[in-house]
Amino acid sequence: MDASHSGIQEPFDLIRLSLSERVFVKLRGDRELTGVLHAYDGHMNLILSDVEETIMIVDHVDGAPEGHATVNVAKRKMEMLFVRGDGVILVSPPSRT
Amino acid sequence: MAGLQPYVDHRVLLILQDGRAIVGVMAGFDQKSNVVLSDSKERVYSMEEGVEEIPLGLYLVKGDQIVLIGELDEAADKAVDLSTIRAEPLPPIRY
Amino acid sequence: MLIFSVFKTLTDQTVSVELKNDLSITGTLKSVDQFLNIRLDNIKVLDEGRHPHMMAVKNCFIRGSVVRYVQLPAEHVDTQLLEDATRRETAATKR
Repeated sequence: MDASHSGIQEPFDLIRLSLSERVFVKLRGDRELTGVLHAYDGHMNLILSDVEETIMIVDHVDGAPEGHATVNVAKRKMEMLFVRGDGVILVSPPSRT
Repeated sequence: MAGLQPYVDHRVLLILQDGRAIVGVMAGFDQKSNVVLSDSKERVYSMEEGVEEIPLGLYLVKGDQIVLIGELDEAADKAVDLSTIRAEPLPPIRY
Repeated sequence: MLIFSVFKTLTDQTVSVELKNDLSITGTLKSVDQFLNIRLDNIKVLDEGRHPHMMAVKNCFIRGSVVRYVQLPAEHVDTQLLEDATRRETAATKR
């Protein structure tokens, strides 16, 4: 088992290879970010620049049948952002498409 | 260090994980940021009526329940007529 | 340790701390510790009309564990330096 030529042996290697690249981050509380990754640590604390945050707000309409909810999306941009690691669900490297 | 020493003997506002707001004089704290307040009161906010102050007296708050500790500007705090303030209580912390 | 160092370099800069109870507080970063507890001076709460709870608070201590985001002053963050330091730290902890 030699994966050393790809440089990926453990999960954090995937994040290391994403440094200075645009990443997708999924967070607790129905939040998602994209931004350029500049720093991280073992808690998955992150520092990102040129960040766009997307918050999914699900409104359950009173009296509506089960499963009928409207989803509102709020977006905002931030120049430089520290993200505390305990809210991070996943970090995805840039898409290679 | 982001210590609590500067707040000792000062009137402070504590915001707790469940959204409660408590004011009092910080009598002491320890390494785990457990805090003892003297002459403390809970401030209960609502949209229906002004802020209600519930006396709690000498109070120990566990450090892990604390969200924020703020130093109160006593003059500014006294200038506020709490009975005119209408606000939702602060939401609890959601991890 | 790395992130702690970054915050230390930002002492006396203006940052905006967003908490997990959706409260957003802007202020001057006065100090930070290893838990990323933060002390802010000259604070201002976003949307003070809806959140009058901290009206008379001038400076505060925020528990690191309740922070969701901190917006940093981009002009005081050297991204190249951060990336190099991150690579060095991960290389050091691997061994």
